[in-house]
Amino acid sequence: MARYAMVIDTRRCIGCHSCTVACKVHNELPVDMIYNSVTTVGPTGIYPDLHMYNVPTLCMHCANAPCVDACPTGASQKREDGVVFIEDKKCVGCQACIMACPYGARVQNHATGAAQKCDFCKDRLDVGKKPHCVNTCHQKARIFGDLDDETSEVYKLVHGENSARLLGELNTEPYVFYIY
Amino acid sequence: MKNKHEGWGWMLAVDFFFAGMGGGMLVIAGIVELFIGEGRISLVGNLLGPVFMCIGCIFLVFELGRPFQSWRVFMNPKAILTVGAWIMSIAIVVGLAYASFGLNPAWFGMEKLFWQDWNGVRKVLSVVCLVTGLVVATYPGVLLSRHKCRPFWVGPGMITLFLLSSLVTGVAAQFLSGLVLPPVAVPGVMQALPALAGGLLFFQLIIWIGYIWVKRTGGTEAEAASAQRWIDGDISASFKSIVLLLGTLVPLILLLQSSLVAQAVGALLVLVGGVSIRCLVVRAGSDRTWLPGEQKYKNRLPFGDEAFLKAWNK
Repeated sequence: MARYAMVIDTRRCIGCHSCTVACKVHNELPVDMIYNSVTTVGPTGIYPDLHMYNVPTLCMHCANAPCVDACPTGASQKREDGVVFIEDKKCVGCQACIMACPYGARVQNHATGAAQKCDFCKDRLDVGKKPHCVNTCHQKARIFGDLDDETSEVYKLVHGENSARLLGELNTEPYVFYIY
Repeated sequence: MKNKHEGWGWMLAVDFFFAGMGGGMLVIAGIVELFIGEGRISLVGNLLGPVFMCIGCIFLVFELGRPFQSWRVFMNPKAILTVGAWIMSIAIVVGLAYASFGLNPAWFGMEKLFWQDWNGVRKVLSVVCLVTGLVVATYPGVLLSRHKCRPFWVGPGMITLFLLSSLVTGVAAQFLSGLVLPPVAVPGVMQALPALAGGLLFFQLIIWIGYIWVKRTGGTEAEAASAQRWIDGDISASFKSIVLLLGTLVPLILLLQSSLVAQAVGALLVLVGGVSIRCLVVRAGSDRTWLPGEQKYKNRLPFGDEAFLKAWNK
């Protein structure tokens, strides 16, 4: 069984928000919902030594997902391949998962009352495709694949580059890695 | 959009208040029954404990995005919310069963209600009341303190604060209930309740000051920033004026007076302080461990009522 992970190369990301738009279109999200935001840090420093970088964020599909532990209905689940998802019909909209997520990756859909989030486009994964945000990124800043496969690009990047996880101190073991 | 989808609101805080107060009332009822004697707490208080928990449940249900599917919260025993829901349900049923021992048979045109002779059952129920009441009183603190990404909540201090607040509001509510319908057994414990509430209130004040001081000075940067909101930020005015002054210091003075009216007003103010502090604590949960650039990003988002957002629906 694969263990899906995403590597985001912040050196390549130019903050164009194409991934945000692709995600919203594919998931048919209301205007006020975003799964996949791109934050910007900086500019910092003093001219001419200025520095700025962009941080695309999404659900981190944590190994120790606090959202799954917090869900009282069992709607928040984790597949064997590591994809964390919400079974909509089981969600009562208690927002326990929203409060538990350290990454702000979950939002409540006010039309349906349920919590929603990025699921790595699992419908596409199931037919051998990659998530929309990965396909859309023209800078190739998002790399997706199987972390258990030593020949995969994500494995090489995570183990060979200067990669880090967000809020690693919380011990959630996110499966989205950042190269900086 | 900036503040939408950000999490729990005031209805959950009100649920915490009613459930905590109800739990506190059950704890008092259980302790008095087991260690002091039968019939020394007002029947109104014994009935209101579980009823308050039911009222809390109603607020909790309406906080849900899908209220009509609320039964599903009983389905995942690994989740703390599910455990809380089950224990509160048990506390409500057992609390009402225990209170039924104090019903006056004459109200039903009978000489005796048949179960009122079952002394062993009464004692078992009071033990269950004590245990489940204690869990319900403590549970919101446990729930919040496990949120490691919410800097103001995280840590065991929240458990103590919620337990104390539940107990002090429970004692105040039992005292007020006793004024409405005095206990049947004499001497009751009514005279001791204002002093007990005052003592708990003072202890709670000290713990709150310590909690904010520790968060401000001993924790992470995020914890310090979250505590600063209580010292001179957006929560500060409500905390100081409603919780500390109106809900703690004034009732502390009133509860220690000999006048029954002053004590009753003090007990009412304790309840005002109890609901206010829970609203503020839930509001403080809007602070999260922010990601790089996240706050700047959120500040750029629209509020949700801008014309360009509504234009999509025309």
